[in-house]
Amino acid sequence: MNERVGAGLNGKKIGDILKRFQSVLGLVILLIVASFACIKNGKNLFLDWRNVMNVLRAVSENGIIAVGMTMVVLLGGIDLSVGSILGLVGTGTAALMMLNGWGFIPTVLMGLAIGAAYGLFNGTIITKMRMQPFLVTLASMNMARGIARIWSNGAGIPLSYGEGLAPVQFEYLQYRIGGLIPVPAIIFIVVAIIFSIVLKRTTFGRQLYATGGNEKAAHLSGIRINRIKTLVFMFCGLLSALSGMIHAAQVSQGGPNDGIGYELNAVAAVCIGGTSLAGGKGTVSGTVIGAIILGLVDNIMGLNGINSNIQLIVKGFILILAVFMQADKQAD
Amino acid sequence: MKKLSLALVTTLLFSMLFTACATDSAATTDAGDNEPAAADTAEEPTAETTGEAKDKYVIGMSQCNLGEPWRVAMNDQIAAAAEAYPMFEIIYADAAQDNSKQIADIENFIQMEVDLLIASPNEATPLTNVVKKAYDAGIPVILLDRKIDGDSFTQFIGADNVLMGREAGKYAAEVLLPDGGNVMEIKGLEGTSGGIERDQGFREGIASNPNVVIVAENNADWLREKAITVAEEMLQANEKVDLVIALNDPMAEGAYIAAKNMGRESEMTYIGFDALPTPDGGIKSVIEGRISLTLVYPTGGKEAIESAYALLVEGKTLDKTITLGTELITAENAEEAYTRYGGK
Repeated sequence: MNERVGAGLNGKKIGDILKRFQSVLGLVILLIVASFACIKNGKNLFLDWRNVMNVLRAVSENGIIAVGMTMVVLLGGIDLSVGSILGLVGTGTAALMMLNGWGFIPTVLMGLAIGAAYGLFNGTIITKMRMQPFLVTLASMNMARGIARIWSNGAGIPLSYGEGLAPVQFEYLQYRIGGLIPVPAIIFIVVAIIFSIVLKRTTFGRQLYATGGNEKAAHLSGIRINRIKTLVFMFCGLLSALSGMIHAAQVSQGGPNDGIGYELNAVAAVCIGGTSLAGGKGTVSGTVIGAIILGLVDNIMGLNGINSNIQLIVKGFILILAVFMQADKQAD
Repeated sequence: MKKLSLALVTTLLFSMLFTACATDSAATTDAGDNEPAAADTAEEPTAETTGEAKDKYVIGMSQCNLGEPWRVAMNDQIAAAAEAYPMFEIIYADAAQDNSKQIADIENFIQMEVDLLIASPNEATPLTNVVKKAYDAGIPVILLDRKIDGDSFTQFIGADNVLMGREAGKYAAEVLLPDGGNVMEIKGLEGTSGGIERDQGFREGIASNPNVVIVAENNADWLREKAITVAEEMLQANEKVDLVIALNDPMAEGAYIAAKNMGRESEMTYIGFDALPTPDGGIKSVIEGRISLTLVYPTGGKEAIESAYALLVEGKTLDKTITLGTELITAENAEEAYTRYGGK
């Protein structure tokens, strides 16, 4: 204790601050790098509204899923089924609109309901049958893929809008306001704000952190941990479903094979954002930054025409770096 | 603290890597920009300035999935063809079979104001909007292998699977089985257009010789391992088989393995498709004597670069569609074709 008050205090304090804001720091460094690294023909390709909006649009699907994944990871769990739910809901909503003539609101509600129900299924099996989230969601990941393929006979369902086709409101999910601001990015930011408040300001949020931090203690203090867990998986499924509809709108198609590997991108965003895989520690805002960092890295390397295999390696290193710094935090 | 500073150093190293790359490209483009200063003042939009004396053209190549060897060959052939045109700088992006990633890749190319976009779409409908966006922004677009919906592109270059099937059928009817014989056919994934077209062409090709009879047919999903099982079942059910036609080379190899396991491999000949110039590709199978014939499924990579030159440098107008022919690879020309197609 005495040492902390001593001469080392300033250095230590700065170190602590740097660590606490590691993802912000990473983002700032990347932004600086990007601002200098993407100048071509005297034109800054990065610092350009259109490009910034491209990045936000590109990260929004993963970002929305990652917000849900944050809550799952806060419980010390993982949800591998998110990418399949995206594919299932994208395909399902496209089918409802194009083949069954459903309107906008019923379709969106049904899409969200499918996601939430899927999360309820995951959560119920995990809590009632006391199984590991990894295994349960690994199984349900494949099941969702199977259902999606059956629903559309294995092929994608193209979306076109208008009378007798899909409702035009659905197309707004990929609209750019003023030709610039992408609706998916707005939805992403709104979702992030809502869940940030939910985690920080509500009883549910406090109980979630308590459960993730120490399940036994939380249980003893009267928190209904099974209810918390099930709710978290439902939220994660719901957000994956939302992302699935945005995805379908953005690619003008509900594809049963879409979203493969998205679960790992979401986990990467959560980890880079500083949420501990052990549970109990982390924030939604960190995840938002994590998702944006991943998008920025893609964008910078893409704008510089860096070989796609090198991109994979660099992203791997960044993930290791983030987890490495997080390990440092836990050791303290 | 120690760990933190190490982490910071690593981050800085990455930053330097990026800046190094960036200054590199900035330097080269600077050098290119100085000379055609006169042209610079005159030219504004990127696409229509065909024939303008530019020293350097940046071409963005958006590949949908480099996990497929055929698509790796496409990129390789683009790179090889571009060597003849030093004014071309090609930037490659790989979408790893993800429509969303390919949209972002093409958006990047639009942002970079590339002089021309070559794209091989993952799927038609999902890529339509972004390709149109590039085209509307004045970037000429050459599509390879797969189209988009509508006609917002400059040129489409694709192969003709019906023609390939027909050529294979003719070769079977005239060269391999002039006196007729029993054929078993191993098809691709149910419902894929390439497979349907190759099958249709093959049937047209053998029609001239009514003694050539297809005695068994089934799907093996384009997969070597699945073709082994399928071929085993067919061989079990058919005493006399003279020819195996597999709609791609890996499945032809699978059928060969199945026949070999039953000690019947020399009773019949084998035809495959695609003829990739890779160590595990069809040309090698012909060289090594397992397959009698494979047909080149051209990637169009070379043609895309030639079109880019015609449009950007020579200022010519491009045809909306180029349909590529095929080439029959047999023991006679396999060695030579392997090197010609860039095999190593």
